[in-house]
Amino acid sequence: MLLDSLSSGFDLFFTPLTIGLTFSGLLFGLFVGALPGLGPLMGIILMLPVAIGQQPIAAMGFLIAIFVGGSCGGSISAILLRIPGTPLAAATLFDGYPMAQKGRAADAIGIAITASSLGGLFGGIVLIFLAPLLARFASGFAPPEYTMLAITGLTAIVVISGGSLIKGLLAGCFGLLLATIGTDEFSTGYRFTFGTHHMLNGFHIVAVVVGLFAISEMAFQIMRKDLTTKPNIPMVRANFGAIVLTLKHWVNLLRSSAIGAFFGSLPGAGGVISSFTAYAAAKAASHPDEGYGEGAEGGVVATESANNATVGGTLVPSLALGIPGDASSAVLIGALLILGIFPGPTLFEQQPEIAGGVFLVYLASNVFLLFAGILTTPIFVYVLRLRKSHLIPAVLLLCAIGTFALQASIFDLWVMLTFGLIGILFRAANYPLAPVVIGTILGPLLENNYRRSLLISREGHWIFLDRPVSATLITINVLLIAGAIWFAIRQRKKTAATKEP
Amino acid sequence: MTKKHAEYLVIIFFLMVIGIVFQQIATSMTEQGIASGTPYDNAAAYPRAVAILAGALLFVAGLNTWRERKIPTPLSISQMRRPAGLIAIFSIYLLGLGTLGYHLSTTPMLMSLLWVAGYTRLVWALIYSVCLSFGAAFLFEVFLNIVLPGGFLRLNIAW
Repeated sequence: MLLDSLSSGFDLFFTPLTIGLTFSGLLFGLFVGALPGLGPLMGIILMLPVAIGQQPIAAMGFLIAIFVGGSCGGSISAILLRIPGTPLAAATLFDGYPMAQKGRAADAIGIAITASSLGGLFGGIVLIFLAPLLARFASGFAPPEYTMLAITGLTAIVVISGGSLIKGLLAGCFGLLLATIGTDEFSTGYRFTFGTHHMLNGFHIVAVVVGLFAISEMAFQIMRKDLTTKPNIPMVRANFGAIVLTLKHWVNLLRSSAIGAFFGSLPGAGGVISSFTAYAAAKAASHPDEGYGEGAEGGVVATESANNATVGGTLVPSLALGIPGDASSAVLIGALLILGIFPGPTLFEQQPEIAGGVFLVYLASNVFLLFAGILTTPIFVYVLRLRKSHLIPAVLLLCAIGTFALQASIFDLWVMLTFGLIGILFRAANYPLAPVVIGTILGPLLENNYRRSLLISREGHWIFLDRPVSATLITINVLLIAGAIWFAIRQRKKTAATKEP
Repeated sequence: MTKKHAEYLVIIFFLMVIGIVFQQIATSMTEQGIASGTPYDNAAAYPRAVAILAGALLFVAGLNTWRERKIPTPLSISQMRRPAGLIAIFSIYLLGLGTLGYHLSTTPMLMSLLWVAGYTRLVWALIYSVCLSFGAAFLFEVFLNIVLPGGFLRLNIAW
């Protein structure tokens, strides 16, 4: 099954368009990753309208390469400016910046790129072996299992990603309600369409995502005071000697990549948790002479290999079950759905060439990262000199044209702006945005399977407890929520105790 | 504006969303005959269940916000001028896009955004805006075959 899907994916992958778009996506990913305030999610969102006009594997190659490049690009600004380009690179500055201070900026960037690439390839191997196994296990799932799987996916993301449980669940409910807008698949009745033909298919997911994330992010970015300042950064040129430097830490590299792939495959955990955990593990296992926190090469290897291995791990539940591991993979699933491909066990059974093609573009992105990343370092160092004041209008223009291009509709632009305002409000009140998107993606899966479960059930909702996998998932959900409540109460008591004189 | 104010605004927003769900179930969906019956016919049961769950969560969120002490947020009125300007410019742009078309409305929008972002060198702002506007139009129209709004003058460049 594994070799079949890979070999059938070769034909789809080896086309000039797919290879060209994967390479372009990687460079764009490095660009958005390097610029503080953007990052892989923003890059994927901005290029989503461009991607969905292409052939499926070329489109996925473009978007996955942005994810891969964006996850690595943040290390460049972390090392040179002490400002992580993305939260994923926050742990990289512990040792990356001190290395730059010691005059080893080129080595630090070279190690970061090499470790990212090798960590990403490790994540790719995990993806190639684990996703078909998980899909095979899930192939026996019926509507009750899918219902509970969708609920577990949403709950896990809310609970594991931290923040307020109530706010996260509310945001998730908002996403689920958004997914109900339009024509009902069962009764063919219209729900929340207010008599307008624009809403017969609901809001376009891209307009919603661009508004929530990109517009609200730009509104917050424009509040910064350093918009017109141009950072003075010396030119840095990484070289392939960094590969040797990285491979000297091969145990650390393997351990951190395994940590990254593991956390990636857990919905909600993501690259930030994996990179900090990998850093802590590397530091604990290191010799005191290595000087972690003072410019240790091992620190950069650990964090960068972990956060790129997370990408491969994140794609495991996304492809095998259709359950996104984080906001970026939720958007990738949204793109697949728009392209007419339904992630889940049936993807591996009915369209193995698509699954194989996705595996290949992911592996290719990481190989391109190693070579293109090192060769193009000076360009991305130059990118860091861009003024924010010039970047904001460019991002907004891309948002506008991209969203208009979806359906040649100005209505979509108003949807985007409205969701931009909702995004600003949510951010100001500390409501997470990722559950909204994940709820919107999982909504149809949840509702359709919930109603199908009730249709086949003779005992109403008891069907969810009658089936072992479904009952296990209910137990996991209860434990997750109970654990989160217990943790919140303990935190509140701790805070109250520290405030008392 | 404090974080508490923002939280109250979100609570009002969710109350409106929940209100719309129940209003639509009671009116439009009932009229269409999709608000009752078996799980196949009843298209209202699921959104109603989600809205009830959201209502329960909202009650807890409201209690938490009410009990929370006033915490200042990074959002002050003076800081909000720029995002408000950004939203206003973008709204005006969208209002004029259909009538004026992409080429007439985009360059002024970009220049205004540059000004709001604090970049005041007029000539460079104009050059940057024109290059960005036409460059983006070229990429989308030539490579992705998108026809951008031409407006009342039907201004579409045959690249």
